[in-house]
Amino acid sequence: MMLPKINYIKVNTLTEAYDAINQCLGELSILAGETDLLIELRKKDLDTHQNILDISNINLLKEIKENGELIKIGSLVTHTQLAESPILKKHAALLAQAASMIGSLQIRNRGTIGGNICNASPCADTVPPLVALDAEVTLSSIDGERVLPVADFIKGPYKTARKSDEILTCISFKKLPEGCRSHFIKLGRRNALSIARLQVAVVGMLDNTGNICYIKLAPGSSMPTPTRLHEVEKMLINEKPTSDLFVEAGERTAQIMIEKTGIRWSTEYKKPVLAALVRRGLEKVFKKTTNHGDTETQSR
Amino acid sequence: MKINLKINNKDYSIDIEPNITLLDLLRDELGLTGTKRGCEIGECGACTVIMDGEAVNSCLVLAPQTDGAEIITVEGLEENGELSKLQKSFIEHEAVHCGFCTPGMLMSAKALLDKNPNPTVEEIKTAIAGNLCRCTGYKQIVEAIQKTSEP
Repeated sequence: MMLPKINYIKVNTLTEAYDAINQCLGELSILAGETDLLIELRKKDLDTHQNILDISNINLLKEIKENGELIKIGSLVTHTQLAESPILKKHAALLAQAASMIGSLQIRNRGTIGGNICNASPCADTVPPLVALDAEVTLSSIDGERVLPVADFIKGPYKTARKSDEILTCISFKKLPEGCRSHFIKLGRRNALSIARLQVAVVGMLDNTGNICYIKLAPGSSMPTPTRLHEVEKMLINEKPTSDLFVEAGERTAQIMIEKTGIRWSTEYKKPVLAALVRRGLEKVFKKTTNHGDTETQSR
Repeated sequence: MKINLKINNKDYSIDIEPNITLLDLLRDELGLTGTKRGCEIGECGACTVIMDGEAVNSCLVLAPQTDGAEIITVEGLEENGELSKLQKSFIEHEAVHCGFCTPGMLMSAKALLDKNPNPTVEEIKTAIAGNLCRCTGYKQIVEAIQKTSEP
């Protein structure tokens, strides 16, 4: 398959990137791991020049760092790096788990977290965990930086709040509290290379009386924009983690999905399945165990 | 534009159009047709090569991005004019039927074995999950990789 003509610009620093953006006339696509962009490029008119800004050499954006209570992830960190990161496995296991389930190893070796967020697919695998972690993105331009919650940055399917002169440089969130457990469920047609049909990200903790004292719940592939389910979280907080409560939480989640999306062709399937996934996610996080931090990497 | 890269331990300095992929560069510019063109959307893994130590889909790498990179393709596997232990193992275990997926399978397997010389069956399956084979049912391929790792 042919690619359209490309005006290719490679930069090594953010300053060079800002200069290139300012000098470029017309639309500019930012190239990172290119597992999404190259496929999109093949759909474009072959005779129209595409401006491509390759930021993959900006080494500053390739690190996962701890900064006190915060974890900061550079936007060029690959899914393989996320999946293997000891920092994430310790403090935000569900993000490492979600990254390990993306595409195939070849895709995970190239695809980046920044690209996954900016592509803003409704079934992006890193997004539900980031929303459950209340993560924020930093957008940088020649005029400075602004910070937005991931849930506000994604405006709809394949739409974000990124302005054309901005580069997503960093994703940051607070480490989960000590003793907090997390789990991510991805439902696809097969394990490898599947696009998620539904996802659920759950983060939670019990207090010493056995009541739920911390809960964050974010479904994926089910709402028009990614969001935490505050209403369902309220049902769960300060309650005992019983099977009945989890069933109720799952059913309420499915109702909220229908309220937000209306009845669609997929509703008959998604309604009971989303309810079941929420229940399973809650069971996984609150099941009695001495293990802190979920180490399971695949929900096969 | 000019790019400099190393392919199978040989240095190349090549003038290219920026709108070609690493797969196009290997097959059409350099005649290294061992790397197969399959789906071109990163689903089948037939075009897998090793770039800077990692298995990648060469159909999803823009050639300009390989400037300064080190690439290994299936043509780079043989050692001193002989097939590598991994390649021989594929033959011994009849892990090759139609052969179209084989170069990609070999490269995914090599990337795994270079990092993890004694992988478990699960680790082998994860490493080749991005490589489709429609003939063998994968069993012989997994066995071939597993046997290579034994002393």
